[in-house]
Amino acid sequence: MSEIASRPVSRSFPLSAVLFLLTYLAARIGIEVFPPGSPLRVASALLPVAPFGWFLVDMVRGVRALDELQRRIHLEALAFAFLVFMLVMMTLGLLELAIQLPPEDLAYRHVWALMPLLYYFGMWRAQRRYR
Amino acid sequence: MKNRLRELREERRWSQVELAERLEVSRQTIHALETGKYDPSLPLAFRIARLFGMAIEVIFDDGEAPPRAERTSARR
Repeated sequence: MSEIASRPVSRSFPLSAVLFLLTYLAARIGIEVFPPGSPLRVASALLPVAPFGWFLVDMVRGVRALDELQRRIHLEALAFAFLVFMLVMMTLGLLELAIQLPPEDLAYRHVWALMPLLYYFGMWRAQRRYR
Repeated sequence: MKNRLRELREERRWSQVELAERLEVSRQTIHALETGKYDPSLPLAFRIARLFGMAIEVIFDDGEAPPRAERTSARR
């Protein structure tokens, strides 16, 4: 099979993504475990930053290695995810002004996870067009 | 845009994967090109033309240019 045809977004992509998710979970646990004001609590919150940097470099390298159609699919997915996420953030912001929204349910730590979901939905949508 | 990619590939008995390898693109791209769902960039169109040893307009037809024979007779 063609190397490009079978190439994932990046060779180390799953590893960097898994490491990022593990450090995110560790950060959530660290924040629960360490008392407020503790430097370890702050360190826990910043724990996923470095693995995310690796994940980011991996993603960019992977996209650069793709062929032109696959890049177009990613571009369409990103445009879709970016704009829908913008709509969600804007609507939540306006609703926040209009009514009392539960801060626990709509905190940044929950809303950010919507972005990769929208991105993958956008990928699925764009892939379907070229199938 | 219409193209003769499938016809030219099948003449050479290449699979989509083989053609993808020769052009250094994914099999999905070959499929999208053959079904007319995607038009290649100019560099890829040149690579395709070079691989088959033909001019780009022999492989790709945007439906606007007059047939080659017509153009040749017009030049005379």
